[in-house]
Amino acid sequence: MSDEHKGHGVDSSGSASTPLDRRGFLAAASTGATAAVAGCSGIGGGGGDTIKIGGVYLLSGVAQALGTASANAAEVAVEQINEEGGIMGQDVEIEVRDHGDNPQAQVRSLAQEYGADVMIGITSSGVTLASAPTIESLGIPFTITDTGTPFITEPDTETYGNYYESDSGKAAFTSNMFRTNANTSHMTYGIAKFVQEEYGAMRVANLGPNYAYGQQCWDYFKAYSEGLGVDHEYVASEYPELEAGDMTPQINSVLDADPDLVFTSFWAGDATTFISQATEQGLFEQVEDVFDTIGADPTVYKALGDTTPEGIHMSGWYWPTAYDNEHNQAFLDAYREEYQDDDTTPNIPGFTGGSTWASIFMYKKAIEAAGSTNADDIISELEGITIDDDPRGPTTIQPDTHQANAPTVLGETSFDADVPYDGAGLVDTRTYTLTRSESKELLDGSGLGPGI
Amino acid sequence: MSYGVRERLFAPDNRTQVVGVSVAAVLLVVAPFVLGGFQTSLLAQTLIFAVFATAFNLLYGYTGLLSFGHAMFVAASGYTAAKVVQQLAPALGIADIFGGAELLVVWLLALVLGTVSAGVLAVFIGYLSVQLEEIYFAMITLSFSMAIFVIVNQDIIGSVLEAVGIGGGTFTNGSDGLTFRMGEVNLFGLDFRLVNIADPTAFYLLTLVVFGLAMYALYRIVNSPFGTTCQAIRENPERARALGIDTTYHSWMTFIISGAFSGMAGAMLVMLKTGILPADAFWTSSATPVVMTVIGGPYAFFGPLAGAFTYEYLRWFIRQFPLLEEFWEFSFGFLLLIVVLFFDNGVYGRVSRFRAWLGEAQSRYRDDGIAGVVALVQETIAGALRAAAEIVRGLAAALRARLGLA
Repeated sequence: MSDEHKGHGVDSSGSASTPLDRRGFLAAASTGATAAVAGCSGIGGGGGDTIKIGGVYLLSGVAQALGTASANAAEVAVEQINEEGGIMGQDVEIEVRDHGDNPQAQVRSLAQEYGADVMIGITSSGVTLASAPTIESLGIPFTITDTGTPFITEPDTETYGNYYESDSGKAAFTSNMFRTNANTSHMTYGIAKFVQEEYGAMRVANLGPNYAYGQQCWDYFKAYSEGLGVDHEYVASEYPELEAGDMTPQINSVLDADPDLVFTSFWAGDATTFISQATEQGLFEQVEDVFDTIGADPTVYKALGDTTPEGIHMSGWYWPTAYDNEHNQAFLDAYREEYQDDDTTPNIPGFTGGSTWASIFMYKKAIEAAGSTNADDIISELEGITIDDDPRGPTTIQPDTHQANAPTVLGETSFDADVPYDGAGLVDTRTYTLTRSESKELLDGSGLGPGI
Repeated sequence: MSYGVRERLFAPDNRTQVVGVSVAAVLLVVAPFVLGGFQTSLLAQTLIFAVFATAFNLLYGYTGLLSFGHAMFVAASGYTAAKVVQQLAPALGIADIFGGAELLVVWLLALVLGTVSAGVLAVFIGYLSVQLEEIYFAMITLSFSMAIFVIVNQDIIGSVLEAVGIGGGTFTNGSDGLTFRMGEVNLFGLDFRLVNIADPTAFYLLTLVVFGLAMYALYRIVNSPFGTTCQAIRENPERARALGIDTTYHSWMTFIISGAFSGMAGAMLVMLKTGILPADAFWTSSATPVVMTVIGGPYAFFGPLAGAFTYEYLRWFIRQFPLLEEFWEFSFGFLLLIVVLFFDNGVYGRVSRFRAWLGEAQSRYRDDGIAGVVALVQETIAGALRAAAEIVRGLAAALRARLGLA
């Protein structure tokens, strides 16, 4: 019953990027004729006339709006590049797919069936870590634009333990994976630093989604606070389930502990749920300030309408009005032009917009410098590359960790923000960056790796 | 060679079956050298799921017990396999003893220990579950599997171990699960990566061996007196008991066998994916073998296999079209609806009836030549149209009655 399907695999056979061994030779020989006719060169080859970018984002469920915003930013960037003559005179093509029920299969399919030369994506830390061996084995450049976990850009397996060889390892560096967004390490540092400067030692409580990311954000926040010499009292920590419909038990439990500050790590749909239910429970009146890691997104504020409390502090990897440079303006203009007539999505980019847009321009620069779409050549160009067109200001991919020294942005919620929808936005934004050595010093003794 | 092998092989009854299996075997062996990397790993995954669904069907199709928690065996085996690759193998110093063949030994160890752990789990959970029947059996297996999901997702084992002073609170690594790499094998001067996505030939061939052995073993089980007893229990448990069969004990044994073979599939699946997540123990993962079996046909040995192929390749087909992919559950559900409504005993039932039809066509050809075949085709089409008209008339009548027009 499988026979009728077998023919379809022919065009994905062979693997130009790996040395030809005996098996490879046998495989190649038996498909040789067909492959020659199809002009196929397998992985890393793509077509000949177009450069193909594959993208995998969460386009359904709790993070639908988030993944869609990333996909939108990538598509607008590709359009812009094509208008300006493509990459090395070749047109650029992009295909973005949903994680679906098997993200690794999607990654493989894009690399092996679609013939992607380079890839971007992944909307979940857990999926990123689980897919790393697959991506490594495919060998093509993969840039993460949406993921928080510092582990994936932490190469120091001796100090922090190898993620793939133990249940407690924290170093999962993968040689062909790169990241353009600021990660959890940057985010929590930014909030810890802000609290240090504006409040000092306080009674702090935590609320976060019940999975690895939520736990990690809280661990990193505490570690950075300690590194900064702030002696907070941690009074409560609660984790509602991911996509929880009702967070009031946890919100009330945190309120009972009478904190001054509440640290949260909700994002996308969970951020909306948390803010609206915390408003009902009066949380924002009872505490001095609330912080959130990556909840600052137009889709969240649009969904909340006029219920967003003013004056709390939320952060993200990008906020449209936080950067004053021509590349950001070009990004905003292109994005607005594309989506101004679209009622389903805000016509300003989401919090992953900057890193996603940057990733496409980064690939353009690397492929042109490499002079080909050979995976290994692109990878060596990417190590240490500076993304000049980055809307967040020029960022550089660190050669040893593959993490961009991207800024994180923290701002105050307000209805005075300049946004094209009914709802709040961020004002008084501040950006934070951090170097590996600074981070290492601050995290010393916590067992957590910088990942930057 | 045992007595009469040649005679049995070429007996008219067995000839088609022997030829069919041989052709399939040759195709499966040749496949990785013809197919590309993606299709080869898809085929490997399909074969693994075929074993999983067939093992599941031992309980469902043969014994009449619908388990809605079979993912727990994949989880038990998968976490064991991940632990073997990540920690046990390095601790045992397998690299020093076996050198270049290290990974093959690790693979075998992970497969064996994974299967054993799933079997052990099945001993306990099976004993409690088989006391119940029908929907209560489905519910209790569902409950156990969700309990296991929570245990691995919350890393309860890690917390317990930490409380008694072992480890740092991580064992199953919570929602991130366990991910590992399977690197290079160096055997008789041949270098290859055991689990290589770009060229998965090596792992595919190992999968094929496991698939062949597991399917043969399961085939022998269902065609033994043991298997016949299972069917007796399915058909009429009271009567089986009256015949002196200890149905509870027999169901328990079937549960253990089913669990162990599911675990075997689970260990292979987790090594192919190079990792396991708590989601692999979630109830939606338990639904996969159920859906495969229902699509394929639970009342034939090769039904679940047909279902696994249909499921995996249809899923692949849907993935090719963004619009279908966006609503893949809908596309899939629609297909399932068609199968349940119109196919008696699933895809495999359809295939069997098509084979019978071909036999009929052959005899018509012998009797009347090509005209006989044409007549049969006409009769078939007319019959199908009549059946379709019947369904439409039935629906129309029901609708009229509902609207009060009749």
